[in-house]
Amino acid sequence: MTSPLFLIAVFAVSTVLGYLIIRQVPSLLHTPLMSGMNALSGVTIVGALSATGVSLLTGGGWLSQTIGCLAIILAAVNVFGGFGVTHRMLMMFNKKKK
Amino acid sequence: MPTLQIILNTLLAVMVLLGISLMSRVKTAVAGNLLSALALFVGVVATLLFNGIVSAWTLWPSIIVGAWIGSMMARRVQMIQMPQTVALFNGLGGGASALVGLLSIHGATRFEQVTALLAIAIGTVTLVGSLVAAGKLHRILNQRPVVYHSALFHSVLTYAALFFTLWAVVDPIRYGDTTDMTLNALAAAVGGTLFGWLFSIRVGGADMPITISLLNSLSGVAGAIAGMAIGDVFLVAVGGIVGASGLLLTQIMCRAMNRSLTSILLATPKTPKTPPTLPTDQALIKRVMDLEKRIQELEAIVKNLEGRVQTLTTAIDSMPAPSAATPQDVEGTTAASVLRAAKDVIIVPGYGMALAQAQHQVHQLATMLERRGARVRYAIHPVAGRMPGHMNVLLAEADVDYEQLYEMEAINDDFATCDAVVVIGANDVLNPAARHAEGTPIYGMPVLNVDQAPQVIICNYDLKPGYAGVENPLYSRQQGVFLELGDAKETLQQLMSAIG
Repeated sequence: MTSPLFLIAVFAVSTVLGYLIIRQVPSLLHTPLMSGMNALSGVTIVGALSATGVSLLTGGGWLSQTIGCLAIILAAVNVFGGFGVTHRMLMMFNKKKK
Repeated sequence: MPTLQIILNTLLAVMVLLGISLMSRVKTAVAGNLLSALALFVGVVATLLFNGIVSAWTLWPSIIVGAWIGSMMARRVQMIQMPQTVALFNGLGGGASALVGLLSIHGATRFEQVTALLAIAIGTVTLVGSLVAAGKLHRILNQRPVVYHSALFHSVLTYAALFFTLWAVVDPIRYGDTTDMTLNALAAAVGGTLFGWLFSIRVGGADMPITISLLNSLSGVAGAIAGMAIGDVFLVAVGGIVGASGLLLTQIMCRAMNRSLTSILLATPKTPKTPPTLPTDQALIKRVMDLEKRIQELEAIVKNLEGRVQTLTTAIDSMPAPSAATPQDVEGTTAASVLRAAKDVIIVPGYGMALAQAQHQVHQLATMLERRGARVRYAIHPVAGRMPGHMNVLLAEADVDYEQLYEMEAINDDFATCDAVVVIGANDVLNPAARHAEGTPIYGMPVLNVDQAPQVIICNYDLKPGYAGVENPLYSRQQGVFLELGDAKETLQQLMSAIG
């Protein structure tokens, strides 16, 4: 298992880096940025997949399978919907290019 | 193996950061979004491989169902529904994180148990809060902030939420291995639900940009904590990035509305409307200084007007005598005649434009004016609309070139020198009372300097005060203000046919 300290350090570093980079985004693009971030928060699908998969292969019960599959569905809706919507919005900004 | 996994995860996190930094310019933003999506895709594949769970058959139908629903929604949703869509997706992500937490409450270490419970709590806050916000934006729920009549009831609920959450999280720290975690999970979920509900139900329409940004941040944090519970570096990193972005947007929104985050979180009513009873020396000095400032502003406007009179006089003098003036010119100025003559126009859109879905008409008007040789720009207040950047998206949908969209700081000095301003469904963001009316909710909020413009055409639905409930003195200005009331779509149409 990855050590808790390492995980907390990763969290801290990525927060700071993210903060610094996102500060560069102009308010013109805040809605696409936000929906992009929103899609990224569906990254929890990674967690849902590993938790559900491991549970199935180690003989977890039907309850954890149900919870796990629901988690995967929700996260997948978040990811696909989020990136799709962001893409549509960004294409709108770009179609004016002459 | 774990080393390889960590290296790959770090690389993927860098890819995500790169994708976001590409999103800071319109030209590269599409690529940035795709890069982030690719990173996520690789992350999913890597997770399947590293955990040896490719053969776990239940995963596949779940992914397909979720992907299908998500893609369909992404394709169907209208731009006008974007705020509630973002809120809804956001809530689902939070819900998924809560479920991941629920799956891992039987972790081996206390760290895993505690983070799993925290993920449940924060995930449910996000889920419930986002669903309430989405319901309000979609007008299923009342848009007005709901404040429970009895402050006691409210505090009791808050403390209950706090108690449930704290107990759930602290309990395993004390008795880690012996307690039955089901009860803790339940308590965390109840606490989270209460918090989410309390947080969102009392937020009104105009505070939505702040709420959505904050919920976005929370969904990231929920993901990161769920990642800690299952020891997934990629999840922790990306969750952290999302959390930071939401927090940053929240800060920007708060600054733009001159509200502090705590005042929104704790639902403290904004500065009470009590007039200052005993004007102290300090207050007097401040008032004098404010008046002084106002006089200077007015002087600048007069100066500007004098200059315009001068240029107009010389222009008329140098013109050959006109053959015949159009009847409207004789009758006096109308909104149409002002726009016909204007060479420099600023358009100020607000939430009313979104409500009336008038962005296409706005663009038509702008094109019409441009064809007549005018320069048209759009002034976008940071909190106009219901989510950060709302106006930009709507105008982009109507084919407005993004280079014509200006942020408040970039255009605020130009209002005094432009020929005309067209306001479409905006009120609070241009209410000059924000500068002087101490004790009102909008006092101190940075506003667009529409009042400095010589001619202002207001296409609002009515003259009622905006969300903040403060009268707009601009409406009663004697000169240079044209009120075109009613549905913005129709008034703009009429305006355009009048311009001809």
